[in-house]
Amino acid sequence: MTQQYSRFMRWTSRVVILSMLALALPQQSAFAVMVDTEQVISHELAGQDRVKIMAFLDREDVLAQLQQHGVTAGDAKARVNALSDDEVHKIAGKLDQLPAGGTDVIGVLLFVFIVLLITDILGFTKVFPFTRSVNK
Amino acid sequence: MLIRNARFLAGVFLVCLSACANPPQTRLVLDSPPATLPRHAELTEVPYFSQEAFQCGPATLAMSLNASGFAVTTEALKHELYLPDLHGSLQVEMFAAARRHGAIAYQLAPDLNDVLYEIAAGTPVIVLQNLAFSWKPVWHYAVAIGYDIDSGEIILRSGSEQRKILSMRTFEYTWARSDYWVMVSMPPGQIPKTADETSYVAAISAAEKTIDTVSALTAYDAAAKRWPGNLTAQIGIGNAAYKLHDLGQAERAYRQAAHDHPDSVAAFNNLAQTLSDQGRYEEALDAARHAVSLGGSLSTTAQETLSEIERKKNRNSNALQIPVQE
Repeated sequence: MTQQYSRFMRWTSRVVILSMLALALPQQSAFAVMVDTEQVISHELAGQDRVKIMAFLDREDVLAQLQQHGVTAGDAKARVNALSDDEVHKIAGKLDQLPAGGTDVIGVLLFVFIVLLITDILGFTKVFPFTRSVNK
Repeated sequence: MLIRNARFLAGVFLVCLSACANPPQTRLVLDSPPATLPRHAELTEVPYFSQEAFQCGPATLAMSLNASGFAVTTEALKHELYLPDLHGSLQVEMFAAARRHGAIAYQLAPDLNDVLYEIAAGTPVIVLQNLAFSWKPVWHYAVAIGYDIDSGEIILRSGSEQRKILSMRTFEYTWARSDYWVMVSMPPGQIPKTADETSYVAAISAAEKTIDTVSALTAYDAAAKRWPGNLTAQIGIGNAAYKLHDLGQAERAYRQAAHDHPDSVAAFNNLAQTLSDQGRYEEALDAARHAVSLGGSLSTTAQETLSEIERKKNRNSNALQIPVQE
């Protein structure tokens, strides 16, 4: 009787151990910290946007307007490089809405200016000498 | 009097000139068609579903999906697409619904040439037209299935007409008012002829949550073949294989990605995780440490992976010591 009982216990404990192990297995992959493709592609898209903005800054009419405002193309590009992926995406979206002739170039430049002004004030960038970061 | 008449006539003449001239894209295609573009094509095998009132969204998507081998009815799509208050369907939902049925939905470049190239390659394309004016729009989806450069015409499955023939010029005017919106829905693994690398891979990534993992793997595989070295496609293959528990294939994909893109945190982080899952902790730690050293916006993830692997490695070496104590 006791022998039978202990054999029963032995088998039961084996089944319990195995099922506990099986429970633990899928949890291992739940710990996985994988980077998904969405994160990868958003960075790549931002790269494309940056190229688009740089090409825009190389346009002759834009260069002329920049010069009028006393900004060199190099300065402007340095500002674009200081922008985050998100900000770059916003500006590139604005560029897409422009007519090819570029009648609203001033508006876009103002937008770039304002974005940079805000990021300057928040202390993310330091483009304009006259802004003081809120963190300081 | 004579002068006034002459002015009037000149005015009429000018109005006529500007009205009769072709819009820019049509002019480009008709005056100098690309040498590689067939002069005529028509996809007669694309099914036709006639639409009920305002149901052009569901009907056109159903035609496109069925042509791609997905059996879906207009009726089924109506519940996913149609907004009764708007009497229509939103463009974003056209993409989302196509994905829900397993297709990769892709927005083509706003270029008439690309539309014709896709048709010539056998892919029907969904276009959005505004049939009236910008200030009083009448929005309408149609499926472009054919064209003829010699007669300057485009053939559509449109509303109640199975084979509507429009002059390319009129088509461009109505299409331009939607900012040349145009999409295709294709089975995973088939890439539109005119697809742009980054935009297309982004389209697969967007579909990844709704299509099954095997289809995602097929789609990324095709993308990696068409654009060798594309980072997202390589990571996509790895992630899909990992989800399917094929750690060997996942490892190969991440190694390739890390080789082609030595500054990619994603490649090294995911490689580290895959190696760790195989119990190869030393190699995993090397990859994880490299991922952390790269910094950037994914550095928190890389740090987490590194700590997790260190913890697992310690736990494992402790576990190995237990039998010794017995």
